[in-house]
Amino acid sequence: MALPEPQAWVPSARRRGPTLGTARPRVLLITEGTYPYVMGGVSSWCHLLVNSLTEFDWQVLPIVALNRSTPLFELPRHAQEVARITVWSEELPRGGRPRAFERRIGSDLPAVLVRNLIGWEGDAEALVDAWVWCRRFPAGVRTVFRSRRGWESFVEGLRDVLAERIPAAGTPPELDLVEAATLYQTLYWVARTAAAPTPSADVLHVTAAGWSAIPALVHKALSGTPIVLTEHGVYVREAYLAAARNGGSPGSRFANTRLARGLSRVAYEGADVVSPVTDANAHWEIGLGIDASKILVLYNGLRQPSAPTPPPRTRTIVSVGRIDPLKDVQTTLRVAAATLRFVPDARFLHYGPVPDGEESYARSCLALHERLGLGERFRFMGPTTDPNGVMRAADVVLMTSISEGLPLSILEAMGEGRPVVSTGVGGVPDVVRGSGAVCPPGDDHGLAIALVMLLRNPDLAWQLGRRGHDRLGRIFNEAACIEGYRDLLWSIARPTSAPAPAMDLAA
Amino acid sequence: MSDVPLQTADAEVLVEARLGRRPQDMLEAAVALEAWVGLPAQTALATASALMRPDARDAETSVGRIPAPSPRHGAVLEGLALVMTVIAIACWAAPLSSSLGAEVVERGLLIALPLTLALQWALRARYLDRVDALAQLADRRALLLLGACAVAALPALAFGAAGALAGLLTVTWTAGTILVRRRWAAAYATGVLLATLAMVADAPALLVVAATAALTCGAVAFALHGRARPNLRAPGHTERTLIALAIGGSLGLMLVLDDTVSWTEGAVPALALLPSAVAAFWGGHHLRHLEMAIPRALSGISAHAAVPRRIAWPPLRVLLGALARLLALCAALSATLLALTPWLGTSSRSAGILAGFAVLAVATLLVSLLESMGRGWWALAAVGAAAAAEGAVRVAGTGSSPGTGLLVGGTLAVVLALPAVVALLSRPASTLATALWIR
Repeated sequence: MALPEPQAWVPSARRRGPTLGTARPRVLLITEGTYPYVMGGVSSWCHLLVNSLTEFDWQVLPIVALNRSTPLFELPRHAQEVARITVWSEELPRGGRPRAFERRIGSDLPAVLVRNLIGWEGDAEALVDAWVWCRRFPAGVRTVFRSRRGWESFVEGLRDVLAERIPAAGTPPELDLVEAATLYQTLYWVARTAAAPTPSADVLHVTAAGWSAIPALVHKALSGTPIVLTEHGVYVREAYLAAARNGGSPGSRFANTRLARGLSRVAYEGADVVSPVTDANAHWEIGLGIDASKILVLYNGLRQPSAPTPPPRTRTIVSVGRIDPLKDVQTTLRVAAATLRFVPDARFLHYGPVPDGEESYARSCLALHERLGLGERFRFMGPTTDPNGVMRAADVVLMTSISEGLPLSILEAMGEGRPVVSTGVGGVPDVVRGSGAVCPPGDDHGLAIALVMLLRNPDLAWQLGRRGHDRLGRIFNEAACIEGYRDLLWSIARPTSAPAPAMDLAA
Repeated sequence: MSDVPLQTADAEVLVEARLGRRPQDMLEAAVALEAWVGLPAQTALATASALMRPDARDAETSVGRIPAPSPRHGAVLEGLALVMTVIAIACWAAPLSSSLGAEVVERGLLIALPLTLALQWALRARYLDRVDALAQLADRRALLLLGACAVAALPALAFGAAGALAGLLTVTWTAGTILVRRRWAAAYATGVLLATLAMVADAPALLVVAATAALTCGAVAFALHGRARPNLRAPGHTERTLIALAIGGSLGLMLVLDDTVSWTEGAVPALALLPSAVAAFWGGHHLRHLEMAIPRALSGISAHAAVPRRIAWPPLRVLLGALARLLALCAALSATLLALTPWLGTSSRSAGILAGFAVLAVATLLVSLLESMGRGWWALAAVGAAAAAEGAVRVAGTGSSPGTGLLVGGTLAVVLALPAVVALLSRPASTLATALWIR
């Protein structure tokens, strides 16, 4: 497919924000199910970045599933939500329709997408070309996908993918027609995401190597704007974990993981800089084939904490995290049961919400809580708005996740001078080093022994906590994190200019 | 955490133990080794890569999860409300005619029926078919109120008394659709019944209709109270809404274009609509099985292999079942109505009108199915051509025998819509993927 002319960006009245100077670099921040509509680690990080780097004009482009929702973060004056890409909706695409010749080219769009996105060895360039076609003919995307020819081309492409026999890729399962139709619908929304217009920008900052990379890659293909990709978790890894635990059919597992892998592969290839938040993620990214020279690890950080207060010595163990299988709350419960056998007066407090869709997991946790007879000694406290306060009330902080990037809850524990007992996933071992204990995921016995040791030796716990506090101030501090991104964005937006001084628009 | 290298065989056993099956590919093996065995990322990836080997296994068969059917309760109530409404409206004809004059009522119905059907179809396409329909409507309360005022006032300004009656009837019937969606069908039916009793008791007919319209609107406002939500999905798109509006309007036109049908000669003309309306409701209700019949027909059929022809049969069977129900019930009720005619009057002696309504019911069912399967333009073409044909019969004056226009128009709509429906249902995979799941 030949590269078409870029689609003009037409700002609507709703999108107009305050008048912004044209000399200031514009960063298009593309988010996926997070900022500014959902609370969480990635959203907090986005908000910190947007609020701190005031010398840039931030344009936020969220990908969301709801047509209208209430933002949970208030954007500062130098930032504005420029548009919204709504997926899984009935909204029609706006924009050009292909002429007959171009429609003939586009009729193979579903096949191109399935071969290059779901196939193990897809061609990233062909994929981006196909997405550029979508940007040029947004209305054509729907026409093609609703046509019988589009479906037939998809089935042909899918058969090629299912016939692949590559040792590392295993043997693809035989998807049935329901799964094929589901995948077809997903690819339609991938194409619709590619078709969404993006505003002019100097840097494209993508917050995950998934759907949010799609508009950025099209934009880069059309205008050469550089892309910075920040990964908090590892998109592919989390997709595999989610697929492994949700008990879906082999076909749905295959489709979901291959889609995530395909999106990540093309995002890694198109990104100019990939900035994971921890070394462990960088190892994954290199393992997934990314050019190591593109990687720049920028740790998350917390504001420089004040001097820690001594622990309450009430044998209180605090854990913070949503009730979600990735957080492995059931292991937390088993650790509590094992610990209470040795320290019967210990008390466990778990803070965190039940996310939508995880209600059955929450029920299974409550059932396990009852079966283990934990009673009032382990309490589910619900979400907290004062994470530092709950950390201060702890003697030890516990985390049992099976997947993490650089978890804020651990940084918060260290900020309050509390020792951490955690599973060694993602960036946790790098962070906790010397300020707590790290065990393999799911090792409830090891985690409980570490807890017992710290509860019985409060002086040692306090010593480890203070070491963590010092370490946080040295390495994982907010200022260093912000400076890292400031340097990165300046260097990529204006490679030849020196960083401009920070400018506070609110002043 | 463990940096101790694992033997490939041990890693394989551990991964299979954790996943409960062989890994799908090397990445899944690596994720399992890292998350549950505790290997660092590099070691996990290297071990997983070594673990995968060329294998001659047959592809694992997969059966996709079929989406749960959309919730539907209170179908009996809905049906009951429909029956009571038709009966009650039939009972309104005489008091309204004696109060306003037969000509005014006739003209009022000529306007009200197409307008109501158009609005009901549009509302359904844009809001009522959605899971968050009531929240969508609650979010647009002001627009609804404005719309109700416009529907009540504009026909009155344009057509005088007939327009006023048409506007009030349209508001009542359209608002009733929202009440039925709120599962307040019984309340709606009760309101209509009370209005009928008031008319029978010689209350001023137009005043009763106005009060009924106001009360129905009030009930809608009450039904939507507290339903607004800050987070909403997109409503049905404008193109679909406009097509649905035009389809509904055309079907309404078909109802009124046949000048052999009089709506004001006592209760019987409106009652003649009852058999086809009830039968269409039953047939349409049966069509809801398509929602599950299509994916079930495809479930377990490999996308890798050639698609067998037999998968077309279950959806076609649902269609045949719906048509059979419609025709059988329509025939039975029509026969009953004809048998009751000596008590009710003379107009329904005409089997032609009942047959015309029956054919129109079949056409409505088919175009409704086409529209819901994303082929709105084709459905519109079918009913548009049918309405034009019926209009031509009226203009040519060849419809002297009762129900000719309805029969001609309805038959044309069926002839145009049926092949398209059969073609869509014969290719369930393509229909599911391209029409049902991509709107």
